[in-house]
Amino acid sequence: MARIELSHVTKRWGGFYAVDDLDLMIDDNAFVTLLGPSGCGKTTTLRMIAGLETPTTGKITIDGVTVFDSEAGINIPANKRRVGFLFQNYALWPNMTVYQNIAFGLSNIKEAGLKVSEDGEIIRNPSAGGAERKLTREEIDRIVARVSAIVKIQPFMKRYPGELSGGQQQRVAIARTLAPGPRVLFMDEPLSNLDAKLRLEMRSELQRLHLSTGSTFVYVTHDQMEAMTLATRICLISNGVLQQYDEPLTVYNRPNNTFVADFVGNPAINFMNARGTQQQDGSFTLKLLDRYDAEFRPGEKVEIGKWYEEAEKEIKAFEAKVRPAEKTNKDEPFKYPVAMVADAEEKKDPDRNDFVLGVRPEFVRICDDGPIEGEIFSAMPTGMETTVRVRVGNYLLTGVVFGGVLYRIGQKVRLNFAGDGTTLFSRVNGRLVACGTLNVKQG
Amino acid sequence: MTTATTREAGGFRRTWNRFRTYISKPQNAILLALGIILTITTIFPMYTIVRDTVRLHPGSIDTQEKALNNQVDALGTTLTTYNWTNLFTDTITTRVERERVTRSVASIYLWTPLLNSVLISIFACFGAILYGGVFAYLVTRTNLKFKKYLSSIFIFPYIMPQWTLAVMWQNLFNSNAVTGGNDGLFVALFNTYMPKWWCEGLFPVSVVLAIHYAPFAYILIGGIFRNMDANLEEAATILNTPRYKTFFRVTLPLVKPAILSTVLLVFSSAMGSYPIPHYLGLTTLSTQYVGMSSNRAGQASILAVIMMLFGFLILIVNQRTTSGRKNFTTVTGKSGQSSVVNLGSVGKYVCSILFVLLTLFTGILPIILFAVETFLPNPGDYSFLTHGIVGHTTTKWWVTSENVTENGMYGQKGILYNADIWNAFGGTFLVAICCALVAGTIGTLIGYCVSKNRRSKWASYVNNMAFLPYLMPSLAVGVAFFIFGSGVGIYNTFLLLILAGTVKYIPFASRSALNSMMQLSGEIEEAAIIQDIPWWKRMTRIIIPIQKTSIISGFLLPFMTCLRELTLFMLLCGQGKIITTMLGYFDEMGLYAFSSGINLILIVLILLFNTLVNKLTGASIDSGIGGGD
Repeated sequence: MARIELSHVTKRWGGFYAVDDLDLMIDDNAFVTLLGPSGCGKTTTLRMIAGLETPTTGKITIDGVTVFDSEAGINIPANKRRVGFLFQNYALWPNMTVYQNIAFGLSNIKEAGLKVSEDGEIIRNPSAGGAERKLTREEIDRIVARVSAIVKIQPFMKRYPGELSGGQQQRVAIARTLAPGPRVLFMDEPLSNLDAKLRLEMRSELQRLHLSTGSTFVYVTHDQMEAMTLATRICLISNGVLQQYDEPLTVYNRPNNTFVADFVGNPAINFMNARGTQQQDGSFTLKLLDRYDAEFRPGEKVEIGKWYEEAEKEIKAFEAKVRPAEKTNKDEPFKYPVAMVADAEEKKDPDRNDFVLGVRPEFVRICDDGPIEGEIFSAMPTGMETTVRVRVGNYLLTGVVFGGVLYRIGQKVRLNFAGDGTTLFSRVNGRLVACGTLNVKQG
Repeated sequence: MTTATTREAGGFRRTWNRFRTYISKPQNAILLALGIILTITTIFPMYTIVRDTVRLHPGSIDTQEKALNNQVDALGTTLTTYNWTNLFTDTITTRVERERVTRSVASIYLWTPLLNSVLISIFACFGAILYGGVFAYLVTRTNLKFKKYLSSIFIFPYIMPQWTLAVMWQNLFNSNAVTGGNDGLFVALFNTYMPKWWCEGLFPVSVVLAIHYAPFAYILIGGIFRNMDANLEEAATILNTPRYKTFFRVTLPLVKPAILSTVLLVFSSAMGSYPIPHYLGLTTLSTQYVGMSSNRAGQASILAVIMMLFGFLILIVNQRTTSGRKNFTTVTGKSGQSSVVNLGSVGKYVCSILFVLLTLFTGILPIILFAVETFLPNPGDYSFLTHGIVGHTTTKWWVTSENVTENGMYGQKGILYNADIWNAFGGTFLVAICCALVAGTIGTLIGYCVSKNRRSKWASYVNNMAFLPYLMPSLAVGVAFFIFGSGVGIYNTFLLLILAGTVKYIPFASRSALNSMMQLSGEIEEAAIIQDIPWWKRMTRIIIPIQKTSIISGFLLPFMTCLRELTLFMLLCGQGKIITTMLGYFDEMGLYAFSSGINLILIVLILLFNTLVNKLTGASIDSGIGGGD
């Protein structure tokens, strides 16, 4: 029903940039999650779109209508933006019953061409004309009945929020948000206060809800699993800066940088420092894990010299942005974690021959003819799969083995990296160079 | 050229749009309006005091002096430094026992009272924190007996009018031989004559102030003790820390902020207190002000300015300390039950009985004494007690229904039939109700608006502006409004009383509202904003119902305080206007039975209101503490 567009939106408090020059296009009927670590600016972004927070500069349009424009001084207040907002703590009014909570907003609607269908759906048709009117008591009843049926809270209509469990409160909050038929639904970590089991259940219900309402959903979370499973597109933010805006599987398989690679995926991706050069045929010969020689063959054509030129151009452009105040929360390269048994001295000042390899745990294979030698450091079977950590020299690699395989700690194993999903990042700027295949030579 | 003008027009439109957006939020519009109003009502009277110190006053020493020098110009337009130079440089020669003693004007009119004021403030702080703090610890942290009774009776001295304890002190210890006047109860019952230092001056004033303000300490410190997570102390116990060390290294540092805010409050309140030093015969800044306000009006204003400066100083200290890093959050943990220190099977009763006796003196006895006084045929005539003759009592002070000049009634009708007294009560109620309504409403709105604009500088300015009179000594505020009121010709009107009361009591309401609004998650209202529910409906249907207890406290506190306020109002109206000034009139006339009767009615009324509101709404005077005269 609605398409949202943010251009050059910035929110800062003094020198602290909560959101830094964000451009974002949210398609009609999309389910977009804003993902990032706590304090990265995702909630601020959401609240700015909803109108609960005023951006410092920038422009926001919803459904073609400019709701905020710092240049023109336009700022349509939240109540006129006709959006729904689901709060993290539900924000149910404690002095009203469940029914009153849902009906309160409805009693306030006053529009022309208002109609309520038999099964309680609001039909808006302002062009039909007619006088402005309010909803009748009977119409409100019908709407409340419909939305409470969607989230299955009919038995609790006379109770007060304090008398409901967390999950039930959550459902009431959803019903209240749905009742006026908003064209966009904003959700601010709506599941973070629920226990693990209930969260899983509500997640699937939200997905169904998105389908049945046909509204645009914008969803804030710090839980990458939630983002992966629910979203049609993920918008990953760090330190107020957009890191990647793509479909979930793209974010997972082709992360733009080491930050995205590390943030998405559980167990987390394995990072390995590597050093080497690009060959004539486009492949990279690398030395990794201190003693193994390997060859990385990119899945697409990449020329490292040119790649660096372009990357630096982009970085320069970012740094050259005119800012009214110096950014105190500086953008620093992400410090990707390399799992090690004992901490070792890191190489400072990497050059263009320094790379980082990222291997997802599912590509770490334990097989008898693998080129890498290691021993089991820890093994955590869940029944469906086993997460193993393998010690290779001073390094630790995490792998996921499907099925109920049992490993003994200290057991000697051999490893291999399978598939064409290995990612190669530059150590200088943390950006993705290419995805490809990694072949380790027998050591 | 054209592009420049269009850009200019665009700039104007942009500014206009921004302003419209800003003002369209009710909290911004209210803040803007209140900020302007409060600036005028708070700053302007203060400015008038300062200006008053350089003005000429008809019939006052500055005009006489000027007249001698033939320098008198049109009054009011000439500014003079005479009041300042005379106060700080001149000397006065007096005869003390046939010897001529020359002292500087400043030492008589300024330094001595100032020293006394500072001394009683310091002693009152110490006393209040010691007495209230120990009591708070015992009630919240030990297995003391009769906790419920003790904790409600302990705050009586604060609820009752300030002079209650001072008058009781006189009634107990005064004697004709030592202090002159009537014999007190001690002389009547035990034939004991207390020494003069015990009856008058620094000692009794400090003690009475300390007892009066000890409830502050109890409520503020007790609040922290009550909410403090027992885990903090348990963690120290687990580490095998001796108990005294736990107390001094863990418990005490945590209550330090509460102790500090008690100090600030008591200091500023004691500084501006008039009735207690007045009754117990000590010259402080406030009594000195009243003493010299006719003859040396300009110099009296200088004293008021000095009191105001103390107020500012306290405000600055308060700002510094409440924003510091050591402002701990004590309500963190989950553990609900706090560990209870065992006083021992004997100790718990000994401590309780000690406090029962003490509170008997401070809470119950004044009421009984006031009641008894109204049945004595002559002030201080306790013959019915010493001789056991019931006939030596009288009801004439209550029920005389005609004008009689004999019996020591001076032509006054008995309290029950005295129209003047009931008119004054009517006036007091009018002022109290109006002040409560206006101050309560404005305070609640400020609390609401400031909590909505936490980061805004303007909001914190408005908050500080509303808060300033709270730390200003009552007398200084009274002086400010006296000069202001006389200047605009509303002296001795209810309007001036209500204005002064409102400005002084807004902090009660704004504090209690702000504290509770801060607890309320902003999402509660945002959930309604998103659904396009208009502001007044959000207030009446959501915010006010949720916050009703604290909002009622915000109305209740100004009301109760107004009922018993003297220091603030006494300069602003004639004596018959309200009941507390009426009291002073009867005291001057020597009709002590009348003042006792009025005191009795006042105390009983206040206690009744407090209980009633507490029972009906759950709001209580201690929830919105603290402040008062």
